[in-house]
Amino acid sequence: MSEYLSEEERRAIRESFARLLAKHCTESDVRRLIATPEGYDRDLWRRMADMGVLGLLVDPTYGGSGAGAVELESLMEEAGAALLPGPLLSSGVLGSSLFSACTDDGVRLRLLPGLASGDTIASVALTGDSGTWRPDGVSVDAAPKGDAWLLTGCASFVTWACAADVLLVAARAPDGLGVFLVEDAQSLAGVTALQTHDPTLHLSRVVFKGVDAVRLPGLDESALEQAMNLARIALAGEQAGAARRVLDGTVEYIRTRVQFGRPVGGFQAIKHMAADLLLEVESATSVARQAASAFDEGDADSNELISLAAFACADAFVQTASSAIQMHGGIGFTWDHWAHLYWRRARADAQLFGGADFYRDRYLAAKESRNAK
Amino acid sequence: MQSNDSDDAIDPLRAEVRGWLDEHWDASARKPAHDFGIGWRRLVVDAGWAAPRWPEQWGGRGLSDDDALVVEEEFNRVGAPGCGQDRSHVSANTLLTFGTDTLKHEALFRLIAEEITTCLLYSEPGAGSDLAAVRTRADWNGEHWVIKGHKIWTSGARTAEYGLLLARTDWDRPKHKGLSFFFVPMKQPGIDIKPIHQITGDSHFNEVFLDDVVVPASNLLGELNEGWKVLLVGLAYERLIMGEGIGERKQGSSKDDHNRADLISMARDAGLLKDSVFRRDLAQVLAYRQLNELNVARAKMELGRDKSSPLMSMSKLAMSRILHEEARIMTKMLGAASLLDGEPHEAAADVNYRAANAYMTSIGGGTDQIQRNIIGEQVLGLPREQEADRHIPFRDSRSVTG
Repeated sequence: MSEYLSEEERRAIRESFARLLAKHCTESDVRRLIATPEGYDRDLWRRMADMGVLGLLVDPTYGGSGAGAVELESLMEEAGAALLPGPLLSSGVLGSSLFSACTDDGVRLRLLPGLASGDTIASVALTGDSGTWRPDGVSVDAAPKGDAWLLTGCASFVTWACAADVLLVAARAPDGLGVFLVEDAQSLAGVTALQTHDPTLHLSRVVFKGVDAVRLPGLDESALEQAMNLARIALAGEQAGAARRVLDGTVEYIRTRVQFGRPVGGFQAIKHMAADLLLEVESATSVARQAASAFDEGDADSNELISLAAFACADAFVQTASSAIQMHGGIGFTWDHWAHLYWRRARADAQLFGGADFYRDRYLAAKESRNAK
Repeated sequence: MQSNDSDDAIDPLRAEVRGWLDEHWDASARKPAHDFGIGWRRLVVDAGWAAPRWPEQWGGRGLSDDDALVVEEEFNRVGAPGCGQDRSHVSANTLLTFGTDTLKHEALFRLIAEEITTCLLYSEPGAGSDLAAVRTRADWNGEHWVIKGHKIWTSGARTAEYGLLLARTDWDRPKHKGLSFFFVPMKQPGIDIKPIHQITGDSHFNEVFLDDVVVPASNLLGELNEGWKVLLVGLAYERLIMGEGIGERKQGSSKDDHNRADLISMARDAGLLKDSVFRRDLAQVLAYRQLNELNVARAKMELGRDKSSPLMSMSKLAMSRILHEEARIMTKMLGAASLLDGEPHEAAADVNYRAANAYMTSIGGGTDQIQRNIIGEQVLGLPREQEADRHIPFRDSRSVTG
């Protein structure tokens, strides 16, 4: 939790972010953005920067709010609920936390203020075609070339590379995994946009054929893991918030949709589905928030909770969004209905950074090692 | 966030409780400081600490919720029992709210001093999920109420001083509107108690047969034919307590709570911790329990703030799944050994007991299906279930006509 923000300030920023999204990120806004090549709203991006959302994790020294995982999770619940498209996770979470962990103050001074102000957008390439988001899934190699480095190989499922000004690349150097900075990402050759199942998510595949890069000092495998943990918490918050919005909308519908002379929500076949979903949504909310607070406090069980949040929130969102289509019946099967937009996001989020079964295994491993102690 | 405890002067109430406890309770030995000639809990009642939210007339101190929590904190701090009855004692709170002065004088202090116990005479063979369909009758004979009927799922019937009874007093009104609520003196002829042999082999519950059982006029709680309202208040208190017990029914909790299975060790012993399919299954079962704990913790935090959280009503449903799933995965780990049972086969007996006892939570206190109705209707605001006999005279209901 932030030492810079009071509880009132935390609540206030969440409320103003929710108001901003209610105004500028409605369903029709999302649909309009899906149809644009950019895929996100630059004006909204600017407003988010002004509100302190983009610099949430950035230290005040570099123009940010210096907040932690608790605040991040809270805002991501709102972002998820609104189905916000854009590089918030890439730039505001992964990019910010990696640059912040860099031990070269020159790099921090040069890049962090831009990330916080929204002038610079970062994208982070973390995995290869295997899409495991694990160190063994990295398929870019970095070779020293004087003071600089040369990158060769391929990264895939790179989120919002198309919007990025700078690209951070996890690559294998002779001494282990490192993070490498490619500036002027817009003129980088070898970036191919991938067609995605979730139209609110932009992904690219990047082929590196001897690309010049700068190695960011201090960013080893454990720094990458820390940044990933923040991203996992953010994603869990997004999933919890989105699942709640889907359930709210579905409950509203089944309260008013009349068949057989009464609202369908009065039938147990539907009512019991809704009750079960509420349990999943509440559980997702509880674990996403607790994982964030354990991370900030540096609790011994924070890895366990982050893994639990990763699969519980992914499953809860997928179950809620899938059931929502079913509970809406025919109207839910139409492109113009909102249900499938959330369903696509749910299915995408459930794969991003590794699937639910990977995190089940990781959760159990964390429990085993805690038991052993 | 900072604690005010050390900086500020401690508030007078806290000081008073501390002073009283210092004088009367030996915190290190966890027992009363002297022999006061009466039981500890009675001493707490007489001092007004057992139910501090209650009015002074009935042994309380008329404290606000926040102040009463200060009293509870101080008692908990030194491990002294007897406080918090105004929050947790279901029958005493029901009696305080709805009882006649005569009955309160007779029973209230003995109840919160835990000198006597009560049992619940609610369910019947023909009124399980549909509790308002009770057919036990209470008729006024000019002098007192005469009870005739058959109750079931009553625990503690043999030792109870009073039974909290839901009975029909008007058969011409619709089902919910012809019921009344009584405190039935249990130590009298006409009450026959038969233990129920459960699928676990245990007998926690009883059937209670009431044949011309006599109840004084002053033992009617609330208005005549308004018994359903009295019952709902009692159930609200009960739910609050069930929530605190992480959703398990009091009656079933001791075995499951204090004997929580160490599934990871069991899996290691069974050589299954390297099986990736099994690991996922195990992780999910462990997750169910941990997620529920996180929900309960959050509910308590939210309750502290605004006094209502939808999370409480869900934890019983969650606990059903936890207990059934834990029993399932334990059976899987045991494999063929689960064919066996009894004392020579301790592990199998334990697992098989858990598998059977899980139904205590998924059926008792309202089945999972009824809980889903409650969540759907009371939390999500969905339309309530239609009842064929909700608005007709109860004597015309199929519960009566067959």
